[in-house]
Amino acid sequence: MQKPKLVYATYIRTTPKKMWDAITKPEFTRQYWGGAKNVSDWKKGSKWEHVFENEPDPVWITGKVLESTPPKRLVLSWADPDKLTDVSRVTYEIEAIDDMVCLKVTHDKLKAGSKMLRGVSWGWPRVLSSLKSFLETGKGLNIFCK
Amino acid sequence: MKPEQFVYVTYIRTTPEKLWQALTAPEFTQRYWLQTKQESAWKPGASWRCVNPEGKTIISGEIIEIEPPRKLVFTWRNETKPEITAEGHSRVTYGLEKQGASVKLTVLHEMDKPGSKLLQSVSDGWPLILASLQSLLETGEPLEETRRYVAC
Repeated sequence: MQKPKLVYATYIRTTPKKMWDAITKPEFTRQYWGGAKNVSDWKKGSKWEHVFENEPDPVWITGKVLESTPPKRLVLSWADPDKLTDVSRVTYEIEAIDDMVCLKVTHDKLKAGSKMLRGVSWGWPRVLSSLKSFLETGKGLNIFCK
Repeated sequence: MKPEQFVYVTYIRTTPEKLWQALTAPEFTQRYWLQTKQESAWKPGASWRCVNPEGKTIISGEIIEIEPPRKLVFTWRNETKPEITAEGHSRVTYGLEKQGASVKLTVLHEMDKPGSKLLQSVSDGWPLILASLQSLLETGEPLEETRRYVAC
């Protein structure tokens, strides 16, 4: 049986370079991703972490950089630090179209019925809508409290 | 048989009332939806049409359920490509839900036939139209790519 997969595409008025920075630089991610930082040197084989600094257990997601081709394609493994046997994969694809960018996020290798599948199904539309607001208006959306 | 469906969820910094207007008022839809207008009396049972800049109906259907500014259900049949028109009516549901200073918009597009070409084509189209709608409501300017009519 095929494992569940999420695909979300959106179009943002920005450049591939700014989009890449918004995904990889902690000072940007925290402005649209509910305050979380994505930390890594973003080189193939490096570790990356999704961190909420002020939480008692700050690292929410951890993984490895599987592929990194700035500013076009970034592939990450993705796991809850408390459940490292359950590893999924996230692929960001960035394509320039005239004065905008098409961003496609594919989250695959998810486990059917898992808490992670529920969490990321809830989260990706929020994160990516907020990312679009952040890049186009300078301000992310405050939609992570519910 | 399980009907095919396309679901897209987006969050927009606006009010449900403004989003409702942007989804239904011709002067708004033509700004982010390829210069098309939607014509309807917006009552249950009323006809609904999407009209291109030359005045030709490109999509037609009927209002099933309407509850401004929360929910709109209508049918949708393509009127430009005979092989897709032959698939008959699909169904679209808009759900609008206020969340803090934003609105969660859910678009559900369903077809009760497997392998629908209509669903395939709208699955490519909705993300661009809804992204342009978000840009229009948040910045006052829709995305450039959606400002001209392209036959599809």
